[in-house]
Amino acid sequence: MIAQVLISGVLSGALYAMVALGLALIYGVMRVINIAHGPLLMLGAYTTYFLYSRAGMNPFLTVPVAMAVLFVVGLLLQRTLVFRVVDAPELSSLLLTFGISIALVNLAQLAFTSDLRAVEFITGAWVVGGLALSKPRFIAFLFAAAVTTLAFLFLKFTRLGKAIRATSQSREVALVCGINVARIHLLTFGLASALAAGGGALLAVIVAIQPEMGGVWTFKSFLVIVLGGAGNYPGALFGGLLLGLVEQLASLFLTTQLSEVVAYLLLVVVLIVRPTGLLGGRST
Amino acid sequence: MKRKTLGLWALAGAMALLCVPADAQGPIRIGASLSLTGTYAKLGKNQHEGYQLCIKDLNAKGGVLGRKLEFVVYDDQSTPATAVRLYEKLITEDKVDGVMGPYSSPVSEAAANVTEKYKKIMVAPLAATTSIFRKGRKYIFMVISPAEGYLEGVVDMAAKRGLKTVAVVNEDTLFSKAAAAGAVELAKKKGMQVVFSEAYPKGNTDFSALLTKIKAANPDVVVAGTYFDDAVALTRQMKELNVNPKMYGVTVGGDLPQFYDTLKQNAEYIYGATQWEPTLPYPGNQEFFETYKKDFGHEPSYHSAAGYAGCLIYGEAVKRANSLDADKVREQLLKLETKTIFGDYKVDQDGFQLAHKMVTFQWQGEKKATVWPDELAQAKPRYPTPPWTQR
Repeated sequence: MIAQVLISGVLSGALYAMVALGLALIYGVMRVINIAHGPLLMLGAYTTYFLYSRAGMNPFLTVPVAMAVLFVVGLLLQRTLVFRVVDAPELSSLLLTFGISIALVNLAQLAFTSDLRAVEFITGAWVVGGLALSKPRFIAFLFAAAVTTLAFLFLKFTRLGKAIRATSQSREVALVCGINVARIHLLTFGLASALAAGGGALLAVIVAIQPEMGGVWTFKSFLVIVLGGAGNYPGALFGGLLLGLVEQLASLFLTTQLSEVVAYLLLVVVLIVRPTGLLGGRST
Repeated sequence: MKRKTLGLWALAGAMALLCVPADAQGPIRIGASLSLTGTYAKLGKNQHEGYQLCIKDLNAKGGVLGRKLEFVVYDDQSTPATAVRLYEKLITEDKVDGVMGPYSSPVSEAAANVTEKYKKIMVAPLAATTSIFRKGRKYIFMVISPAEGYLEGVVDMAAKRGLKTVAVVNEDTLFSKAAAAGAVELAKKKGMQVVFSEAYPKGNTDFSALLTKIKAANPDVVVAGTYFDDAVALTRQMKELNVNPKMYGVTVGGDLPQFYDTLKQNAEYIYGATQWEPTLPYPGNQEFFETYKKDFGHEPSYHSAAGYAGCLIYGEAVKRANSLDADKVREQLLKLETKTIFGDYKVDQDGFQLAHKMVTFQWQGEKKATVWPDELAQAKPRYPTPPWTQR
């Protein structure tokens, strides 16, 4: 029973990590807490839904498409709105992204209606020795792991990735070194939106899609990056897996209702005991 | 001089016209808040359409008390707190002539506090929780069968087939909790053993751990007090975790055509409870079904029918009372015994529904087949439910 729950925890944890990495990027680079992260994920899920239901695309192949589409949406948001609050107090960015989030959810309700949609593509499980491995969740896990790995490689080894990390460490020094900070901000927001969209596209195969599905993901991503250490990118990975496991174990040993309570209690404890997150704050 | 007087008279006349109380000739305005967005949007919309069709039909017959009817509807986003605010607004600001209930038990429970405060009759067609009507409230009336009876059919059929163990789960909200409690009580009464019982929070999407525990308890029957989203998620994950009860029943949501559209063949064999089916032999039911389909472009659910019937019942009581006065209408609603397209209506002194009956169906070959109670059954249940791996 524990093995089964551990599997579920790791499967959902990888998704948490991928989505939260986007939030961590934006926070790390711009010090902006992006409340609209969840709604961007929702848009990614709808992209997958429409490509699947209208164009008959394999939902897993829509992941890069959804990411590309939301990359552009992210660029536009940054270019038109978010860049204005980068240097403003954090409350401004909270309010702005909160507004964007409400606007996105309601626009989605208008455009797509609040009907529940589902991508019924691969269902069921591989049953191995009493353990069930959910097919859609496992494939989503593989994709999430791959995308997250690529994102890390990108950050670690490419010039652009290094520039993003440099900006995250010190904007002034990056500026002095000749990095176009505004452009890095733009790219970061696009990249983060793409990560959210990737999460949404994968979720589309797992849960039902509706305009309000994103909200809970904003909070979960937030939880993940605080657990892992805000602005610390490997921390997002660690926090994601931790959250997945904690939620599952809490629902196993306590009740499903208490699992969120436990997750948020953990957040409070971490904030008191180690306010910079379990893996430390922004890595320098 | 004369001309001036005439002008004054005309002015006075115009003012008098304006001052005539609006209710003497304007339409009767009925207020309601409905879940047009949010978790219950799907179901709330159907109820809304039921209301719309009801006043269309009533108006076609000349309205009530010689006046046309119209609805003033707001969206409560499926949250009780919003509904409370909206009913306050409807009654105190919009000054509607009457109100109808919102969607769902939790929202009706909250709204009832407002309607009682202002002594407004509220026929609450989609409130199925017994406790709402057992709090000494005077002006709220029930149309559908209580939540406790939703899973009665599944439990009864299971007991008749000699099944011994049952797992009960529910969303932790008023209605689902009552449905689950009713199932637990009935199962015990029938000598079955409740091997697992747990609630999950509203909006929960991950049932892995919950289902893992159920799998370990290995019950013959799984019944779930659900709404739509969770019924879908729970079913999908049952397949993902290969949980194989011999019977599996859900409550609300499972009866919507969208349930099958979403889950496709995975919805087969699932039992659901319904307050109403278009095929049931109630007077006018067939025409209602046809008109509804024509007007709204999709089939009605029981939420549509209950909304329609609840509104008709309110209209009938107003007619009989020959007044909109709350106490006079109340007297008529307490006395009324009628059969609508939704089935029987008769309430006790608390406004609690006594006469209406539930039916249980099973998804069989893309269709809902009524399988319980025996006297209304159209088909035999396909039993037992085969394991997911063998479908």
